[in-house]
This record gives sequence, C-alpha cells and structure tokens, in this order.
Amino acid sequence: MGELWAGIREAVQLILSGDREVREIALRTVYVSGLATFLAMLTGIPAGYALARRRFPGRTLVLGAVNTGMGMPPVVVGLVVWLLLVRSGPLGGLELIYTREAMVLAQFLIATPLVIGFTAAAVQALPPELPELLQVLGAGPVRRLWLLAREARLGLLAAVMAGFGGVVSEVGASMAVGGNLQGETRVLTTAIVTETSRGNTERALALGLILLGLAFAVNLVLTRAQQRSG
Amino acid sequence: MEVRFAGVEVEKGGRRLLDLPELTVGRAAVTALLGPNGAGKTTALRLMAGLERPGRGQVLLDGEPAERAARRAVSYAFQRAVFLRGTVRENLELALRLRGVPAAERGRRIARAAEVCGVGHLLGRDALRLSGGEAQRANLARALALDAGLLLLDEPLSGLDGPSRSALLADLPAMLAATRATVVLVTHDRDEALLLARELVLLLDGRAAAQGLPGEVVRRPPTAAAAAFLGHTVLGQEAVLPGALTVGPGEREFAFAVERVVDLGTHLAAEGRVRGTPARAVIPPGAPPPAPGSEVTVSAPAAAVLRYRDDGRLAE
Amino acid sequence: MGRGRAWLALGLAGVLASAAACGDGAAAGPGASPGAGQPGRVGGSLILATTTSTQDSGLLEALVPLFEAATGTRVKVIAVGSGAALAMARRGDADAVLSHAPEAEAPLVASGDLVEGRRVMHNDFVLVGPPADPAGVRGAGSIEEAMGRIAARGTFISRGDTSGTHAKELALWRAAGLDPAAVRREETGQGMGATLNIADQRRGYTLTDRATYLALRGRLALEVLFEGAAPLLNVYHVYVVNPAKHPRVNAAQARAWAAFLVAPETQRVIGEFGRDRFGQPLFTPGAGTSAGEPGR
Repeated sequence: MGELWAGIREAVQLILSGDREVREIALRTVYVSGLATFLAMLTGIPAGYALARRRFPGRTLVLGAVNTGMGMPPVVVGLVVWLLLVRSGPLGGLELIYTREAMVLAQFLIATPLVIGFTAAAVQALPPELPELLQVLGAGPVRRLWLLAREARLGLLAAVMAGFGGVVSEVGASMAVGGNLQGETRVLTTAIVTETSRGNTERALALGLILLGLAFAVNLVLTRAQQRSG
Repeated sequence: MEVRFAGVEVEKGGRRLLDLPELTVGRAAVTALLGPNGAGKTTALRLMAGLERPGRGQVLLDGEPAERAARRAVSYAFQRAVFLRGTVRENLELALRLRGVPAAERGRRIARAAEVCGVGHLLGRDALRLSGGEAQRANLARALALDAGLLLLDEPLSGLDGPSRSALLADLPAMLAATRATVVLVTHDRDEALLLARELVLLLDGRAAAQGLPGEVVRRPPTAAAAAFLGHTVLGQEAVLPGALTVGPGEREFAFAVERVVDLGTHLAAEGRVRGTPARAVIPPGAPPPAPGSEVTVSAPAAAVLRYRDDGRLAE
Repeated sequence: MGRGRAWLALGLAGVLASAAACGDGAAAGPGASPGAGQPGRVGGSLILATTTSTQDSGLLEALVPLFEAATGTRVKVIAVGSGAALAMARRGDADAVLSHAPEAEAPLVASGDLVEGRRVMHNDFVLVGPPADPAGVRGAGSIEEAMGRIAARGTFISRGDTSGTHAKELALWRAAGLDPAAVRREETGQGMGATLNIADQRRGYTLTDRATYLALRGRLALEVLFEGAAPLLNVYHVYVVNPAKHPRVNAAQARAWAAFLVAPETQRVIGEFGRDRFGQPLFTPGAGTSAGEPGR
C-alpha cells in the first residue's frame, strides 16, 4: 500500500511540477495514438460502412477477418510490422523502423479492425431503408453520409474510443517497432516498462496514472459528444 | 403527373423482375399497383423514385428521366415507417429542409400534413417510440408534407394490427384527396386497391396483366391468370366471379364435391371442389347445409361466368 | 468497398509520405549543419542493439548524449537480450552491438557478421538468493560448488531469454557438471529487473549482473551470496556490423560509436558511473584489450 500511495503522490507531483520529459512522453503518446486512431477512422469508418451495407463476394470472409483482427494481440501486429520495416525486411529501405511513423503504422493496423468492426455493428443497427429514405428526400451523397453518421454516432464514437483505447494502452507493438527510444519513440506504456525494469516503481506508477488520466480525459470528451442529445 | 415506362426491363440474378414495354400511369389521381409477392411492384415503385435504374428502357416523369426528376418531384413512403432520432416534428422538418422548403413555410406545411394524417398531437413525440399505426401515419404525413408531384406509397397498410389497419384504411381516401399529388400505391390486397384507387394496374410476373378502372378489371380480368389472382374460381376455360357461386340450382350449374361447411358469421359457405379445383359456394339463408362428402349442385348467374380462349385471353 | 479501399490506400500513403519526409529531414539535418565539416562530426544515425543491463542501469543515457553532442549522430538504442541483439546483427538490422555474451558473439565474429570487436568494460555476475539461504550457497568454496548446492536444495529463477546472463547461467551449470534441463529451474523469459523481482518474491536464487542488482537492491530482500570467481566476470564488447556483408549498415556511424566507447574520456565516465547513486561504480572500464581475450 505504501508504494501505491507513494506512486500516487509522485504522479501528482510529476504532473504539477510539469516534468519536461513526462510531458513530452504524454504529448508523444497523444500524438502517436491520436494520429493512428484518426487514420484508422478515415479508413475504418468507410470500410465498416461498406461492410455493413454492401453485399459482395467474400464479405463473410472479410467480416471474419475483421472480427479476428479485433481480437488480434497487438504484439503480433508489432512483430509483423517489425519484420516488414526492419532493415533486412522487405520495406527496410524506407528506414522507418524505430520511428514514430512506424509506431503510427502499427497502431493504425491495430486500431483499424476495431474501428471497422464497431462501425459495421453501428451501421447494421440502423434501419436498412435509412440511406434510401434520405436519398429520396433529396440528400446528396455527402449529406447522406453525414446524416447517417450523426444517426449512428453512438456506435461510431464507441468505435473511436475502442480504437484509441486499444492503441494507447498497448505496449508490445510500440516497443517492437518504436524501440522505446528516449526522447523519440518512448510513449507512456513503454516508459512504464522501462521504469519498472529499472526499479523506479513510483515513477512507473505515476506514468501509469497519467496514462489512465489521459485515456479517461479522451473518453470523457468522446462520451460527452456521444451522449449529447439531438 | 404522368409516369411512363418505356421499354423497361429489369433483371436481377438472371431472373426477369420487370418487363414493361409500354405502360403509362398517373392519369387518375390514385393508381394501385396490385400483384402477388415478387410480381415486381416494389421494383416499379423504386424505378419511379429513381432509387434504381432499369437495365433497359426508361422511366419518365412528365417526360423527364426519373433518376433526375425524382429528387424534387417524388415523395416516397416506404413500407416500413423509418425515422431518424428526434421528434416527429424534427423528422418532418428535416425532410422539408432537405427538399429546400423555406423555413417560413415548413411550419405551415407540417401543421397541415399532420392534421390531415391525424398526427397533430404526436408532433412532439419521439419518432422512434411510436406505435405501428402512429408511425405509419407520421410516415404518410412526412410524405404528404413534401407536396411532391408524385406520391409513392409502398403497402401503407401492411404490418398494422386489425383496428389500426381499419382506421387507417378508413382515413386514407381523405388523406389522398387532400394532396394535389398523383398517387401510386403498391398493394397485394385486391380490396385495398378497390377501395383506394381510381385506376388499377395488375402486375403478374413482372408484366402488366391488366390496366383499367379497378372494378372493371376485377369484373372482367383480361386473362385467366389475372382472374385467378383476383379471386375468381377458374374452372378450365371458365371463371366465376368471386362470391358468385351459390349452393342450389341456377343459370349455370356445376357439380360440387363438399369437403366441409364453414361459418363466416354473415353466412355459411360450403368449401370443396368443382372439377378438382378448390372453390367455395354460399349457402343461401335458411337452406340446409350439405353434408361433407356429398356431391351437390352449385350455380352462378350466367353474367358472372367468364369464358377464356385457349390462349388464356378473355373471349368477347 | 471501393471507397473503403481508396481510403485505406490514402491513409497508408499519408503515413508513409510523412514518415519519408521525417526520414529525409533527419538524414539531411546534420549534414547540412555548420559543423558538418569539422573532424568528429559524423551525422546521420545508428541503431545500437544492446543488452538490457546497459539501458536499465542508466549507463547509456549518460553516454549517448555525449556521443550525440560530439558527432551529431543520433543513437537509436534497442535494448534487448544479448541473444536478440546478436540476431539483429546477423540480419544486418543493427549497425553496432554492445553485448556481454562472448561465447554467443564468437560464431558471429567467425562468420564475419561482427567486425572490429573491442572490449569496452566489465563488471561481474553475482549469485543472489534469499537471506536465509536454504541451499547454503554462502559457504561454497567455488562457483561449481555453489551451483551444485542450488541444484540440490534450492530453486533457481532463470532469465530463459537467450540473454548474455542466461547464456552465462547455462555455462555455469555445465561447468559444474550439471544438466540445466535436469535442475529445478524456472524460466521467466523476462529482463533482469523483472527476474530479480520474481526471484525475490519466490525466495529463489538467480544469477544477475552486479549493475542491475545494485540499481534494484533497495527494493529487494535478495542478498549477494556468492561472488568473485573468475567465471563470473561479465565482459562487454562493442562490435561493428560488417558493412561488407550488410550493405545497409551505417558503418561510419557505427565505427564512430565504437571509437567513442573506448576513448579515454568515455572510459573515465564509465569508471565513475553509478558512484554517486550506489556508492560504487557499476562498471570497470576495460578498453585496450582485444575482443578475443577474456581478460581479468
């Protein structure tokens, strides 16, 4: 218990004192996971929509793959991305390994199935006639998608939360493809691993609390948007 | 508004859903598209709404291709009443906004459509929590409020329980009379078509099997197949008008194998077969019901018996 | 689905484009800096595959900034077990290796994957265990005897991760005439810090480098029960991954790093490292001997 309290005290101190490294790690975490989630939204929401609405050959296969991807351990994704990007790998020439961009790519691959799956579920929960109703009412394609997104926003925001929550808390892939480089690719989760193995339990716990607070803050914002009526 | 199907063919999965070389509807205020499931009624409606394009041919609304004209000229009430989150008023409001109706006019139109459809008291209610009957009326109110040239109704009475259906069926003629729009209504129920429409198009297997005044079409179906769908008792090349067979002698007599007697409340009827074809004959009030298994004579007035040629067409 | 695929392609293109832009920037930056022509300026970056102990002890965080300031070369430290570090070297995935598993390094030197090996420093391994010492390791006369006693009456918590420490442990069992597979061992598959914690909680024995033990000592009940024998020496070597064999290797940067580690000023920093925090240095500088000699 003593250590737990010490950790919480140190966390508060770290946050209040504005420790530069901690702040940078937290901001980097938001940047990497936020960008990955944003890109996952850009691809996952249209893909999830298409998967829910269109009938095409191989659809069941794709759905199965997405559902598997949703449960895929991030560390496996990390391993695959690592093998692709590492110098001796097929994309080694891009010199992307151990960069934030590699982390964004890995996290993007982790978040996308989550976003697709949640989006497909949200869209399937809408009345199937809705798009055509809006079409008949005179809404153009963009307006139609916007109105449908508004209608499905509960599920879509859940998709975003699932995606962000999934990547901000994972450590295996970030460690593998980012390398946990101080000042460059160290994010909250990998920093926690480092501090723990160095025996700095209080600092590790403090970083953990910051991660918790960060995830909570993001989810709070999204939940407020989600629950707003109208 | 006049709707013309010119050389329209629709195929899906190798099956021909619709084949309308030349069909014009909309000369009457209310036209019913009547036919069994799978006859192509809803497909025809979707073509008019511009939701689908025919594989071949064109659907023209007052001469303009439907896919272009539909966005301003057509209002479509789907079979299932579908709404977005929000109140009934918000749903009507959105529909009018999407149609570009100025804000000042929306309130007036909503009020009028709601009154005509009897949903004035529901405007503030959550549209996703209406009963089946309320939702269908709100659905119709939304369609009417658009004040479009062509109003398409897909089975407006399906999915309702008995009392809601009767109430809406009673109110629909007034609702449809309140709009200036040309109404095209899809139904599989002959009586709905008779009660609501001034013109009837009978669709069988994707083709227009008959077109005309509803009563005329039912009285004199142009083909034996149309007669069978419209409830005639088709006996080889003859067809007897629905309800015209009576137990006992008369102008045209048939041998009738009695299977059972049913009490329809207003009268008794014998069910059985004439020359192997299932048929039902009215038992006149006071007459003794025939015994199941017995053979009796049934009859119809000569005017109620139509004769069809070998090719299935009505013999004049 | 067409739209979904287009988005996917667009998103990936975006990621790769921004990454490529960053990569170009990093490569061009130092070269374009005013110091590019000065002696000692190398620029670019290098991937250093190393054992966890050099990172967990904090040594690299003390050394890397000095090197980066002197050369303008960014060091990407990938701290993994020695086994994984050597695997990266064999595939040409790293530019330089700082490792402490001479037996495992030897085949890669022989195959030509690792070149220009230099001894950097050493510390030692120690056997730690519960203060009660149920196996009686404290009284052992030799390392072989100590291992034998643990095998007889103790539980050994092993790294089990092909790290240098793990390799050393296996060698010690064999030297004591024991088959590691037959001894009561539990493998954690984790780093030294985690393994020490597990040994502590389970009242087991384990082999650890002194640096990590000192760093964590404050929170462990484990005590050093056996130390000082010759086989327990823990020697760190730096190597350059052979650019002739792996064309993508940043050889200039790797050579600069190796030269930096054995430079007298750096050696002095290594010799002082940890004194302020632990009261004694964690490593003994040992440059000057070649990779082949174990040294004392």
